[in-house]
Parts: sequence; C-alpha cells; structure tokens
Amino acid sequence: MSLAQYALRRILLIIPLLIGITFVSFLIANAIPADPINTNLPPSQLNNEAIVAAFRAEWGLDKPPIEQYFTYLGNLLQGNLGRSIKTRQPVAEDIAKFLPATIELATVATVFGIFIGVGLGIVSAVWRNRPIDFIARAVAVIGVSVPVFVLALLFLSVFHAQLGIAAGPGRLTVTLRDPPTVTGLFTVDSLLAGRPDLFLDAASHLILPGLVLALYIAGLISRVTRSSMLEILSMDYMRTARSKGVRESIVVMKHGLRNAMLPIVTVIGLSYGNLLAGAVLTESIFAWPGIGRYMFRASTSQDFPAIMGVSLLIAFIYVVVNFVVDILYYFLDPRIRLS
Amino acid sequence: MKLLRFLAILLAIAMLATSFASAQEERVLVIGHAESTDSLDPARGYTQTTGVIHRALYETLVTFPDDSAAEILPMLATDWTISDDGLSYTFNLNPAAVFSDGSPVTAEDVVYSVNRLKNIQGSPSFLAAIIADVVADDADTVTFTLSDVSPAFLANLANTAFGITNSEVVTANGGSAAEDAATTDAALDFLNSNSAGSGPYILESWEPQVETVLVRNENYYGDAPYFDRVIITNIPEPATQKVALESGEIDLALDLTSDQIAPLEGNPNITIFRGPGNIVHFLLMNANPDIGGPMADPLVQRAVRMALDYPGYAALWGGVQPGSMMFYGNAYSFAPEQGVQRDLDGARALLAEAGYADGFDITLEYPTFTFQGVNMDTNAQKIQADLAEIGINVTLAPAELQVALESYRTGQEGFGYWFWGPDVLDPIDFLSFLPGGKVADERALWTPDVASEELNAMVAEARIATDPAAREELFTQLQAYTLENSPWAPFIQPDVQTALAADLQGYVWHPQWLLDVALLSRAE
Repeated sequence: MSLAQYALRRILLIIPLLIGITFVSFLIANAIPADPINTNLPPSQLNNEAIVAAFRAEWGLDKPPIEQYFTYLGNLLQGNLGRSIKTRQPVAEDIAKFLPATIELATVATVFGIFIGVGLGIVSAVWRNRPIDFIARAVAVIGVSVPVFVLALLFLSVFHAQLGIAAGPGRLTVTLRDPPTVTGLFTVDSLLAGRPDLFLDAASHLILPGLVLALYIAGLISRVTRSSMLEILSMDYMRTARSKGVRESIVVMKHGLRNAMLPIVTVIGLSYGNLLAGAVLTESIFAWPGIGRYMFRASTSQDFPAIMGVSLLIAFIYVVVNFVVDILYYFLDPRIRLS
Repeated sequence: MKLLRFLAILLAIAMLATSFASAQEERVLVIGHAESTDSLDPARGYTQTTGVIHRALYETLVTFPDDSAAEILPMLATDWTISDDGLSYTFNLNPAAVFSDGSPVTAEDVVYSVNRLKNIQGSPSFLAAIIADVVADDADTVTFTLSDVSPAFLANLANTAFGITNSEVVTANGGSAAEDAATTDAALDFLNSNSAGSGPYILESWEPQVETVLVRNENYYGDAPYFDRVIITNIPEPATQKVALESGEIDLALDLTSDQIAPLEGNPNITIFRGPGNIVHFLLMNANPDIGGPMADPLVQRAVRMALDYPGYAALWGGVQPGSMMFYGNAYSFAPEQGVQRDLDGARALLAEAGYADGFDITLEYPTFTFQGVNMDTNAQKIQADLAEIGINVTLAPAELQVALESYRTGQEGFGYWFWGPDVLDPIDFLSFLPGGKVADERALWTPDVASEELNAMVAEARIATDPAAREELFTQLQAYTLENSPWAPFIQPDVQTALAADLQGYVWHPQWLLDVALLSRAE
C-alpha cells in the first residue's frame, strides 16, 4: 500500500468521526438540566419576557433540539462555528485567539518531555535495576503523580519568586507590548517583527510552565520507553550487533531505540494531543490565556456554541495527532508498508 | 556576511536600549487581578473588575470620600437640591468638566447616560429603576424625578454604573438610550475597547482574560494622576498573584486571601494595608418567644450584648467593633466607642432581672464557613466562652451553609450567628434590621406588630427623610435604640487586607469601587 493510499484512507475515516463528535457533544451539552439564560442574562432581565424571547431567538434556543442540531451541522459544513454567547465573538475567532498560546506551550512542553522522558527511559532500561534505574523511575513516578498545580506553584515560588532565575506567569513581561499578530505564537511573531528582545522574553516565559507539563508527560513517556527498550534489548539481533563489535552507544540508540520507537511515538502523540486539548490548571496558575481556560469559561456559562466549537477542535486535534502518529508508523515500521 | 551579523547585533542592542529608555520615562502601575467581567460598558458590566476600571474612566454626578461611604460629595455636579416631597433632585453641573475628547460634560450627556443605563436592562440597571424621568433644564442643570421617595438615591448615583458617558461619541458608535435600547443598543463593542468618559484615565485596550490597559487622560480637567499607564493583568489564581507580587512583577494584588497575606508580613518589599471592611458579624436573637425562648426577652438580649468581649474579636481578626448593625464607615454610623461596652456585672444583673439569675441553656446555630478569612467556628467558640461568664450555657450547632441558611431565612433560628454586607452604601440599609425591614421581619420575627409605636414611627420617618440633618438625627436615635433594645448583637467588623509593593503610596480600600488607581503614586 502506498503512503498516499494509506493517508487517504485515514483522512476519510476522520469525517464520520467528527460528525459523531458533534452529535455526542451536542447531546451532553443539552443534557445539563440548566437553562443558559440564567448564566448569560443579568438577573434584572430574567423576568422580562421580551428580552428572554429575543435571547432565545438570537441563539436559536427556541427551536426543538433536533432542529438546533441540524442547523448547527449545516452551518458547520459551511465552515461556520457560530458565535460564542459569552464573548459575542465568532467561536472560530475566539479559538484563533486562544489556541496559539496553547500550541506554543504544548509544543515546548512536549519537546522538553521527549528529552526528559526518553532519556530517563533509556537510562533505566540500559542500567536496569541499578541505582540509576531506581532514581529515574522515582522521577517518573513523581512526575506522573504530583498534581500539576502543586508543581506549578512550587516552581513559580522557588525558581521565579525566590531565586529569580526564571520568568513568571503570563506569556510576556506585563509591561512589554505583544508583537504584531501573524501566527499568534509570540516566539515566532517577535522574530518576524525583528524583536529579539521580545523573543527572549516570550521564550523565557515558556520555560516554567513548559517544564511543569513536561514532567507530567515525561513520567509516562519514560515508563513506556523503559519497558519497550527492555523488550528490544533482549532480542537476538541486539546480541548479534554487539558480537559484531558495534559500539554500545550505537547498539542502544540505533538498533535498540529505533525499534522500540513505535509505542513511544504513540504515547508522545497522545500526550501532545492531551496538552493541546488544554491544561486548565497549569494555564490558570501561569495566567496563560489558552484554550483550556476558554473551555472552562464556556462550560461554566453553558455557552453552547463555544463548547461545541472547542469539543470539535479537541477531537480534531486528537485525530490529526493520531494521523501523524500513523504516518510515522509507516516510516518507522516497514511491515506496515508491506501489509 | 560578518558585517551583516555585526549590524544585526547592533540593531538589536539599539532596540533593547530604546525600549528600556521609554520604559523608564513612563510611570507604569501593574495590578494583578482575577478578571470577572464580560463587558466594560458602564451600563452592562457590574462586578469588582468594572468597579476598579470604571472608577478610573468615568465620573459620576456625586461620589463618596476616598476611603468610606460616610458622606455624599460633589463630583460632576457641584451642588444639588431635593424637593420637599423628596421626589425630585436637581443637579448643577461643573462647567469645567470635560470628556477625554475635550468636549464639555453637559446635562444632555447625563440624561443620555442615565436613560441608557436604565433602558439597556443590563446587570446594574436596577439601580436606575426608581428614576421615572430625567430632563436637562439647561446645558448645566439636570433634574431627576423619582417614582417613589428614595433617601438612598444619592448613594446609588455614586455607583460607578452611573458613570456619565459622552453621548455624541457613544451614539456615533451605535449607542442608544431609547426605551428599546435593550435590543437596539450596539455600542457594546466600542465601549469594550474604548472609553468615553471624563475620568482621569482612558481605556487604551482590553484583551478579555489577558489584560486591561489604561492611559492618562490628557484632557482631564482635575489633578493629573501620578501614573501614566495602568496595566491590570489577569491572574486568575490568587496564589500566582502572591508569587508575582513577591517577585516584583506586579505592584498590587487585588485578590489575595488573608492566609496568603499572612506570610508576606515582614517582607521588606511589601506592605500590607489593613482597614475595616463593611461586613458586620452579628448574633441574632429571635424576638418570638416560641422560637427564641429566653433569647426573645429584650433584657436577655441586652445582657448578651454586654457580655461579649469586643476587643477580643478585634484582636483575632483585626478590624473594629461596629457601633451598631450599621457598618462603621457608612454615613451617620456609630463609632466603635459609641457601641455597647463589655460589662459582666451589668449583664448578670440584667439576667437576674429577667428571671435567669442562674443562667440557661441555649443552642447557637451558625454556618461552618470562612468568609474573607474570618472563620465562623472560631468566633462561635469565643461567643460560647464569653456567654459562659454570665451563666448562659451555649451548645454550638454548626451546619453546612445551605442548611443553616434555610432555617435563618425562614425565621426558625432562635439564636444564630451570621454576617451582613450592605446592599446599598447608605444608612437606609440599616432599616433591614428594624421592624418592617427584611432581616428583622423575616429572620428575627421582630415585626412592626411587636415593636413599640415610638420605634415604628421613627422607622417610618427614616424611610422617607431626605434632609441630611433630619436623617442624621433619626439614624442616631435609631442606632441608640437598638443598643438598648433589639434582637441583634453586632460584634466584629473585620479588616480587609491588601498586599502591595512597599514603594506604592496612597492606597485605600473603598467599599464601593474597591480601588481608585488615580490616588496611587510611587515613592521616589
């Protein structure tokens, strides 16, 4: 099967999946036994029937749910996600505003997480049951099990407030002005605007939240790396490679890691999707205006269009990340190419 | 190639230097705050966030002193008269007042802003519900007609929601003050990113959930504020605000809890502001003997007031003893020294006179709740100890807030412990605790039927009196009356606390708008 065929089949599978997601999130959003007028209209307007009726008509809440759903689906097929009740802006614009912050953070965290996680995993596997293995495994357990908000506050108060060696909350130092928006990623936009000072500031603000999230996913990555590596390291071809006199580092990295990569790539992909779907607590503590906080606000105010929009986005992110992982499989494992 | 790289580095250094220089010239104040609004339109936003921002952007006809609600002061209006029937208020506007675009503040602008607030039916519109009509008599005079007598009207007008907007600018940007403004006004987007007021600052930008930037209004007709630029950065987690304050990133943290402030004590870079808030903690003694038992006896009620160790509560939480159920800082409110003083012998004598020489057993109901850092359990235990001294044996009956509220709201509580924050910053709020008022009638069953004729007459007068001298006398008499005879024992008005950078000067807490950024400056 060629790569193009393989990719096409994957893409076609995405469409029914996304439609299914819209249906499920619509059902869940509507199943909450509360009326959005209570969270979106001031109390003084609740007794005013004309205003309540106008509100319901404006947001289509006066129609039967099934009709609301098909209207939404119709708009969606034309690429229209609707307007947020809370911000009164198009949901697509809101997402475009909040998503880049999350992408920037999730990407940095994942890169950190891969280095820490894969590194620890290899060390653990190669020096299995030695002291260094125990240390690496302890770090992994701590990373997974310490709540992120504890780690986030601890890092902020130690590295930022006490030692002063890392930047604090927010995406930029408060007194600096945002770079002109091109991609929404401050690191990229500041370079495009020719402002190395802003780039450094934005990059330094990514370190602490990136590290906190990285430790969280690194725990998972290192455990999968360790077990996958252990399996590979006991393979006959490893012994063969060694007996050929190949250097140990090459044995481990080329013959070992490369073949152990499949489950590791899967976990990395899932973690990345997870972080892109929003890390509400970390975003709150680091005052990071990302999609997690947007979603939190949307759900507490029963902002249906925003909830649906973000649910779709998250589903889409997962689908895309899985798709990329599948494509990586294609390159990593020749057996997929042959089947 | 090398030259190119050298030039690039030079350019970077130059840019860094210029950005540094401009930052030094500008005086910038950075406030950390958990933003809580969907709108910066004065007719729509009505939260703590908008209180702070609107205070800087808009002015009202009348206002309060910087740190209390103790009196009504002129702002855009220089003076005013109230008709004898208390229904019409006429204000003369300050002819010097101008909007940020330089145009004068006229009576038409007042009419427009008030009608817009009323007709848009946003969260703060209820404040304008009492206004039947508002007309411009001439360019500098405006008259309000009320649908009913409302002595708290001036205090309501001091609310930032009554901020006067530039009618021409707002109309040009889609604004409407017409009766159907609730559906036709389209100035929301404009007022979310611009301001149209006469305050010391103008709104430069608002990025919801990120930051609000105010810059100095160059056309301000009053004294120019110290800071050129005020940045209110959204930090939703108070714990993060604390860290940002410690690192010097922000100058002022608006949302710290008292247990977050405590460890900042002794930090040389931080000062802690303390001042009495406007929350009064009190005991309720049901006036109905079937429910209150011995507590329904006015002599016992007085004995309880005399048994409480007032300085002890102030030592626990900071703050003051409220002189009455009216919070200290409100107009005409009793000072702490005018309140009941502890007198155990006197209290025992009163109990004996009431027929309880050996005391009695009673249950104290209260919610297990910590409000603004004040733990009600701790206070309840102290109340138990205080009353034991005069032979009243108190059993504590804490309950979950919602459970306790139920029996409080239905008037089923014989002896309860609650707290109260004013609904309106006017002495009229005190009437809630007198017969005919909501709390007295429904919670303590102290109704006009059981109250003395003398008291009912005073309350009726206080409800409609608008003349300041008459009000002062009435509210003084009423407060004095409740010290002798009432089902209330107010015992602590705890401090509010704010942590700020040590070099920041002029900070005061205000019960209405929380913070006036124009009062702040930096020690140089």
